Amino acid sequence: MSSNSAPKYLISRKVDTFFSDITAASEFTLRFFKEVFRPPYEFRELIKQCYQVGYKSLFMIALTGFITGIVITKQSRPSLSEFGAESWLPSLSGIAVIRTLAPLVTALICGGKVGSNIGAELGSMKVTEQIDAMEVSAINPYKFLVVTRVLATTIMIPLLVCFAGLVGMLGAYLNVHVFEQTSMTTFFIAAFDKISYLDLVSSLVKSIVYGFTIGMVGCYKGFNASNGTEGVGRAANAAVVLSMFLIFTEEILLVQITNYLR
Amino acid sequence: MRSSSGSRAVIVGIFTLVGLAILAVFILTLGSQRKTFTSSITVKSYFSNVNGLQKGNNIWFTGVKVGTIRSVSIIESSKVEVQMYIDKSAKKFIHKDVRAKLSSDGLIGNKIIELYGGTPDLPNIEEGDIIATDTLFSTEALMSTLSENNDNLLGITSNLKIITDQIVQGKGTLGKIMNDETLTDQINLLAASLNRSAVNIEKLSAAASDYTEKLNKPGTLANDLVSDTTVFANLRDLTERLRVISDSSQIFVNSLNETGKSLNASLDNPNTPLGMMLKDEKAAKQIKGILGNLQTATEKLNEDLEALKSNFLFRRYFKKQAKLEKSKQSSVSDTTFSN
Repeated sequence: MSSNSAPKYLISRKVDTFFSDITAASEFTLRFFKEVFRPPYEFRELIKQCYQVGYKSLFMIALTGFITGIVITKQSRPSLSEFGAESWLPSLSGIAVIRTLAPLVTALICGGKVGSNIGAELGSMKVTEQIDAMEVSAINPYKFLVVTRVLATTIMIPLLVCFAGLVGMLGAYLNVHVFEQTSMTTFFIAAFDKISYLDLVSSLVKSIVYGFTIGMVGCYKGFNASNGTEGVGRAANAAVVLSMFLIFTEEILLVQITNYLR
Repeated sequence: MRSSSGSRAVIVGIFTLVGLAILAVFILTLGSQRKTFTSSITVKSYFSNVNGLQKGNNIWFTGVKVGTIRSVSIIESSKVEVQMYIDKSAKKFIHKDVRAKLSSDGLIGNKIIELYGGTPDLPNIEEGDIIATDTLFSTEALMSTLSENNDNLLGITSNLKIITDQIVQGKGTLGKIMNDETLTDQINLLAASLNRSAVNIEKLSAAASDYTEKLNKPGTLANDLVSDTTVFANLRDLTERLRVISDSSQIFVNSLNETGKSLNASLDNPNTPLGMMLKDEKAAKQIKGILGNLQTATEKLNEDLEALKSNFLFRRYFKKQAKLEKSKQSSVSDTTFSN
């Protein structure tokens, strides 16, 4: 009787779940920093995950980056042409691709592809009790499954951003060359003329943060999946949605910090 | 399985290396653009207004990028210190008296610092030098000037419209010239007259040319005056003499003047003989009487002499005189005929 009289939820079921989820996510994230420096190190699994996250995503990232470079140039040309500033297209494309498009597009593509993969993979392992079995086998599932994946995304996404930046600039160059007959040297000199080290560093920092976010959100959602196969799908979906939401939120914050430092 | 994980590691390694290489290329390209890896010196300038100049903006010298802005800071009201990195490789072309001005790479481009001028005789700039600045480039000032020019242009075109309207209506001198046929005839006549005048002037100039040619001919007076030194010396002597004569004449005239004055004084004074003769009527009457008596006496003396001629005592003398006179006259006439 006494248990019935005590309040079941502090505020309400949804609000309590939300805050308890935040606490669980924070603990899950903090555990990563504890586990990452503690041996044993799962290098083979890390390389496997790097292969999955980096190499397997390269084609899609390159294609998306190339298209993005072309699109940004094509979309900007009419506006610049109105006041005869087509010569600004290389610098505009450079700024757009390096500062924002390369990290953001790469993060969104990886958030969709890699985040859902991780969420679904870990979710299915969770619902099929493989993770519990690993614990029974004296294997630290967090270190084997989470640390390797988060490290892989954190390392590989900045590299993918470099690829996306290069390919995006090539796409922009192709478009500018076709319409304005600009040489490659002139294009890249003009493109880099307006880019600073801060842009490059902020772009790298952003991609590291996005990579960490994608890996961590995917792992967390997969690790906490429940309710069978339905839970697997939900975990994959939630991993994509939440990682994208967090990516945009972090984008706003990091842009603010970059502008403060500029 | 093992070989699969091995090839996967190779692919990941290649992927990582290529990604890092791209990042390195980005950094190196940016470094070469920003002159990060080139050694440089720091100089500074002071401006009253930098119009949005920022750290990292370019510095140009004779249109070539030679450095970047290191920092922009306000040090006091209306005084902004701009520190600049100048490439060491460009230092040898930039001299101590180089000047800096704020400019822009295009009408809507980024702000830049433009270095210009500099005397090659002076030493090159060194670390910590302060570069003198000039008037700032200001888009607002440029637009203001352009606006003023537009207003002026509008005024000019309005005036031109009025002028052309008046010309078309035949008003004013130009309008009359364009529309009045009689004026055209007059202008034609004037032109013909001017043409004749020009011909005359041509003749005159030819004559003047001949004349000057003659003047230049040696032996002529004018040429001697200009070129012969003895003629000039003679003229100078002559002038000197004339001056002496003139001085003597002046003294003489002065003396005459004095004499005239004393004469006038004597004439005015009736006590002097001349004054008495000219001014004293009583004396004049007496003189007149004396002269009348003398006339009478002379006539009577003539009669007495005629009477003497007839006297036998003197007759012989008078005949001798007559003969002597006659002989003189005959000798004169003989001489005339012989010539």
